[in-house]
Amino acid sequence: MDITKYEKIFDQESRKYLKELEDLLMAVEKDLSNLALWAEIHGKIHSIKGMARALSLTKISDLCHLMEDWCLNFQQGTRISSPAAVQALFDGSNFLGYLVSNKGWIDSFEDQKLYNNLISKFEKIPDEPSKSSSLTETVPALASYQSPAITIDHVKIKYSFIEELLGLTQEIQLLAKKFPSFLNEQMSSGLKNWIGHYTALMKVLYFQLTQLRLMTVGDFADLFLKSIRDIAKENNKSVNVEIIGSEIQADITLLERLREPLIHIFRNCIAHGIETVEERTNLGKNVNGKITIEAKSEKENLYIKIRDDGRGINKSLIINHLKDKQLMTDEEIGRMSEEELYNIILSPEFSSSSTTTELSGRGIGMNVVAQSIDYLGGSLSISSDSGKGTEFIIKLPLSLSIIYAIAFSIGKHTLAIPTLHVKSISNIDIFSDNDRKSYYDIKKVLGVAENKKSSYSVLNLKYANDQSTINQTTTDQATTDQPTNDGKESCRHLLVDNIIGNRPLMVLPVGDLLSGVKLFSGIGIMENGDIALLLDLDNLPPQ
Amino acid sequence: MKLFVFKAKDKYIGIESEYIYRIIDDYKITPVCLTPKCYAGLIFYRGELFDVINIRLLLGYSGHLENTYDEPVENQRIIIIKWHNKKLAVIPDEIIGMIWIDGNYEGLNSYRHENKDINLIKPDYIWKKLLELSYGHH
Repeated sequence: MDITKYEKIFDQESRKYLKELEDLLMAVEKDLSNLALWAEIHGKIHSIKGMARALSLTKISDLCHLMEDWCLNFQQGTRISSPAAVQALFDGSNFLGYLVSNKGWIDSFEDQKLYNNLISKFEKIPDEPSKSSSLTETVPALASYQSPAITIDHVKIKYSFIEELLGLTQEIQLLAKKFPSFLNEQMSSGLKNWIGHYTALMKVLYFQLTQLRLMTVGDFADLFLKSIRDIAKENNKSVNVEIIGSEIQADITLLERLREPLIHIFRNCIAHGIETVEERTNLGKNVNGKITIEAKSEKENLYIKIRDDGRGINKSLIINHLKDKQLMTDEEIGRMSEEELYNIILSPEFSSSSTTTELSGRGIGMNVVAQSIDYLGGSLSISSDSGKGTEFIIKLPLSLSIIYAIAFSIGKHTLAIPTLHVKSISNIDIFSDNDRKSYYDIKKVLGVAENKKSSYSVLNLKYANDQSTINQTTTDQATTDQPTNDGKESCRHLLVDNIIGNRPLMVLPVGDLLSGVKLFSGIGIMENGDIALLLDLDNLPPQ
Repeated sequence: MKLFVFKAKDKYIGIESEYIYRIIDDYKITPVCLTPKCYAGLIFYRGELFDVINIRLLLGYSGHLENTYDEPVENQRIIIIKWHNKKLAVIPDEIIGMIWIDGNYEGLNSYRHENKDINLIKPDYIWKKLLELSYGHH
């Protein structure tokens, strides 16, 4: 990670801590002897100091350090706090705000003087309330610093709101495709241009909205830095983190579901992979262990590799397990590849056996991690090099795990087709079998009994390889509601009972049994938990 | 050894209790077209998908039949089984409960308990039977 990225994080985090510090100071002002509040205040200042030290911002870390000492007096009850003491901390907090905005620099003589005054004030033990002077001792305003004007450049919004917006834009796009039929001469060229422009803008809007769902792997990995540090500290180890391929973007929902499995992998790396400082020194390794998070995209897959430079996996533990618990012979084990051997760790039998404690010791088996990745349509594999480290490789589908699809019903069945493949939707009345012939009878294909009705919906489909829809003019679009016999096999008009709507679907892979049907490309889960089977358009038989 | 016992097709069936993940009831089963008669549909339970099988129809299977589950099935008790990397939901006719058996039952096909013959079934056996059926157009 480059230094500017750290600075950015420092700036954001420090502002957050300073805001929290201000709130806490306001609270403690009303409840001076609340030791818990003092402990929290101490904690906030300590957090800022830690980050400032990492970036060698000594002016900030020095001031924080002295402020912390002050807090400690009140926190431990060795000194009784006073309104003047709280005010002094407010002054310190204000000055920290100035230093954070100024990247740790002081750019005027007056402000340097103020800084010196604050330092000398905090160097002394806080005065007892009786001796403390009034609030008039407050540090004068900073010469070159005014409280930053509050600017809002980031807002927090619910992810579901983005989903809703995406759904709406897609519906508007569909509506545009259902533009009523006009004869060419009924449309002025101005109106045609307007519609063309409007449709193009809608596409841009939709594209921009889809970008909101993406997150860089770098930002995602940053979320773990604190946890990795904490786990390392718990285990009395020191770990550096390297992130490779941080610019790669992936769906936020996909990454979110990786959080738990990744934490478990990090725990394994730190607790059992990376050696203690003493061991590493004896082995001639760098005293700081290293965890590398590497992201790579290849074809339709996202690879996330977690690597540690620790002791590697003890192969004999796995071999013992296979012999004792799985009753395998030396010969059978000998036939196994390295990869197969290490992947035994991911089996539930291994996770439930006593050997686990020596490898993960967390009570949660690696099989749970493997299962959650499997659930995302991905896979997990392990490779290890004795004395050099272990690598966990997660392979995931890079494409969005949530897609929009038009859900519809035929008989009692709910099915769906990705919205991308739906050109338009129309309603028709069918009274005879002859009328029916112009449409693709999906009910017949799926063996669903016909119920007596005359009103149907038609899904006019386009296929991924169907270029005919891309270059269409709006006039063409206006007429595509009617079945056309243009000889393109990739255009189909599906007769369905009811349209449920354009819905976001979480797509899960078709299981071993249903893959035999060969007509489903995935199982879609709707927001309400209902299931819609995604039709595999490429495998629909001709009619 | 604990055995989970249920009834199907007038027979008592026992499955090792460690494979039983959950017993749920009144859960909406979504029917799937072009599946064998015993395939009741799919359920989405706690973030996971399960194939739901009517065990009686599976054991009484005789050739490829049209799926009778045209409508969502309701008010059924469902046994969810998880073993190795596989999972399955099973509809029994009736749930009997848990029994404890002594000794090694490896290799045994049945066990007599309170004048009842309990057929010992491994989940892999059910799975194998399911894979023998045909799905889709044939």
